[in-house]
This record gives sequence, C-alpha cells and structure tokens, in this order.
Amino acid sequence: MALAQRQGRVRHRLILLTLLAITFLTVDLRGFDTVNQAQGLLRDFLHPVNSLASTLFSPVGDIWNSLFSYAELEAENVALREQLDALRGTSLRSEAETAAYQRLLEALDLPYAPDLETVAARVERGPVGNFASDVVTINKGQRDGIEPGMTVVTKAGLVGRVARVDGVTSTVQLLSDPDLVVGVRLVSTNDVGLGHAVRGEPNTFIINQGPNWPSIEDTASFPDVGSAVVTDADSRYTADVPIGRVVQVRPASDELSLEVLVQLANDVEDLAFVSVLLTEQSNDPPTGAVVPSTSVPLDLDPELLDSLEPADPQ
Amino acid sequence: MTVLRLALLILVALVVQVTVFVDLRFWGVAPELLVLLAVLVGYLAGPRTGPTIAFVIGLLWDVYLPSPLGLSAIVFALVAYVVAAGGAELFSDSKAQLVIIVALGTVGALAGYALLGEVMGQRGLVDMEMLRVAVVAALLNMVLTPLVRPLMVWAIRPRLATG
Repeated sequence: MALAQRQGRVRHRLILLTLLAITFLTVDLRGFDTVNQAQGLLRDFLHPVNSLASTLFSPVGDIWNSLFSYAELEAENVALREQLDALRGTSLRSEAETAAYQRLLEALDLPYAPDLETVAARVERGPVGNFASDVVTINKGQRDGIEPGMTVVTKAGLVGRVARVDGVTSTVQLLSDPDLVVGVRLVSTNDVGLGHAVRGEPNTFIINQGPNWPSIEDTASFPDVGSAVVTDADSRYTADVPIGRVVQVRPASDELSLEVLVQLANDVEDLAFVSVLLTEQSNDPPTGAVVPSTSVPLDLDPELLDSLEPADPQ
Repeated sequence: MTVLRLALLILVALVVQVTVFVDLRFWGVAPELLVLLAVLVGYLAGPRTGPTIAFVIGLLWDVYLPSPLGLSAIVFALVAYVVAAGGAELFSDSKAQLVIIVALGTVGALAGYALLGEVMGQRGLVDMEMLRVAVVAALLNMVLTPLVRPLMVWAIRPRLATG
C-alpha cells in the first residue's frame, strides 16, 4: 500500500515536471521577452565565471591541440588567414562596386556604404554541446549597441547574423547553418536569389531560387564561374557584403531549373575576430515575387516559402 | 546544505561544459557532463527527487543551448526517472553496472534530445551523425563516471542517508 502510494507520488511529480517543461517550451517558442531576458540575465551573471574559467583552462586546450600538431602553426595560421581574408574581401568588394549594379545603386541614390559603423568582437567560444555546430558566441552584446538580426562580417565577407543578444555577449548564427536563408545577388548577371549552406559542407553555399530565376535553358543568364556573390539590398543583411565566388553552375535535380554553387569567402568554422555592422536589420524573411526552383530542398524553411508570393506571369 | 552542495556541483559542471569542453573534444565530440550528472542523480537519489534535480540541470543547460527552453529539462528528467526506476529493480549497487547505466542513459538522453528537438522544429538533429555523437559521448561519460560519482555522492549524501 505504502509502496503504491509512493509510486503514485513519483508519477504525479513526473507529470508535473512534464507540464512544467511544456509550459517553458510554449513560452519560449512563442518568444516571450521575459523568459528570454531571464535567460540572458543568467548568462550575464555567469559570464565572469565562464571568462575566468576559459582563461584558466585555455592552456589545457592549447596542450590538447598541440597533441595533434596544431599549436605551433596556430599563430602563423591566424596571421596568414587575416592577410588572405583581407585580399579576398578587397577583390570581391571591388568587383561588386565596379559592376553594373553599382551604377544602378548610384542611380537610385543608394550608394554602397563602406564606412558603416561597426563593432569589432572576439569569438569567445565555439558551439556549446554536440548539437549546435553553426553558432559562435562573441564578447560584445547589448551594451555595445548590438541587436538581434545585425549582420556579422570579417574582412572576407559575410559570417552570419546575430541570433541572440545578452548584456555582454551575443550568439551569432553562422552562414554555414543550412537553415539560414540569405538573399543574394550574382554580380556577373545581377540576378537576385535565395541561397543557403549545404548540410555537411559548411563552406559550400547553394542558390536555387529567386525572382525571375533563370531556367536551365536560359544559358545567357548563367553567372560566370569565379564571379562574386554578394548580399542583396532587399535581403535581411546589409547590401553588397561579399559571400563568395561561383564555383559551379549546374541543372538542379529536376533538370529544369538552375543551381549555382558558391564557395564561401569565409572559413566560418575557424573564426577569431568578427565585426558586427551596427545597422538596423529586418527580422522578416525576404518577400516579393519569387520563382522557386522545384528542386528546393525539403529542409528549406516552409514558412519562408509560404511567405513568397507567386510569380508574375509577365 | 545539500541544496548548496548540489548547486555548486551543477554550476561547476555547467562552467566546465561551456568552457573546457568547447575546445576539448574527442573525435569532434564533447563529453556530456550535465547528462552524466542527470543519470547519476537519478541512480543515486532515486525516483522521488532524482528526476526533479535532473530537470533543474536540464533547464540550466537549456539556457546555453539554441534549442527551446525546457527541451533538455524534460529529457533529463525522463532519463533520470527511467534510470532511478530501472536501476532500483534491475541492478545491484555496483560500480561496473553504473558505468553501463551511464552509457545507456547518455545515449538515451542524446537520442531523446535529438528526437524531441526535431519535433520542436530544430532541423538536422536526427541522422547518422547523431548516432556517432551519442556513442562517443557515452564512451566519454563512462570514462568520467568514476571521477564524477564521488562528487555526486558528496553533494547528495544526507539525502542518501535518509533514503
């Protein structure tokens, strides 16, 4: 009898915990600010402890890395990478600026602004746990003027967008996340499309839909291999931020539409410093008349696809 | 005092998880220290309090994960309950068995997190990589069990004494 009562109490407690978890999940998924703020406060509260622990344990990490013959090349690699990133970024930016689209921007009195206000930040830690591989935490937050949705770049180009902001740190969703859809412009053709990273291939980006997206028969509209790809002015990101270069133009699996493969300019898996562009960004997905390719992967955000209007038959 | 000791242990584990085990990875996989605590607390504290403490551990872990708040909490609580209920009936109190329970609990917790995460709209969690991560993390947690078990016993000692 006593045993049955005890088991009953345990089950009741488990049901209570389940209901509590469902409440937390519901509140969090519906984006209640209070819950987000409470989480942010806790992270801020623990930040000094985490920073101290990171400093104390960083030699352990270095020793661990040195076991795999990494440490001695680390400093040299960082210096070389920064140099290479600067060269890539300069090359891509100059191409974007000299293209026909630049003239269009000037005609519309929307000049590309290279002198945007930025905040430089250090990547404090990589992904936490084993299931969140496409985020990093940077050491700047709300106090530095950072807001959710802001564009994060390096000298080479786009890194991602600010996903979560605490008082002193921010979490950046990296471009390597296949769920991060970016509005892009192909510099050689001025075609505008939507692209995302390929799962399992963090340095590869695929563009396969957009307004007036060329079909596979429209060979004149194919972008040049090696040409630059930048963020579109109508996207959620600051315009004309370099993304990468076209490495392949191929028919999609349906053999009707076009797929453009892009090699990302940034190695987002190995970042040390980034800059956050302090410009207000829209949190809404890109809208407008879009002709989606029939080869759009099923894992592309269905809400995004629903929000796109049907193509104009003209 | 028990609450303070438990809070201290959980806090230290959380800090180690988000600092040391961000860099210190084995075959690209970090040990799941908080899952280990949840399994141990289920095993040592029993079905009455184990799931509740595991729930709190999961909730704290959720604060650092991009997944929605409450996901790890419910998975940890359920794993702690299964370990507590199953452990009491199926196993005697042996250290070798505990290591096996930790391995099974870790696989269960990570698989449960991935499956529930997919249901909640997180994508790309359930695949062959998840299986690899779960197996490697289980092995790492097995290695850590002899180190962490005494700490958990220290933290919940009065509770163990009172049954």
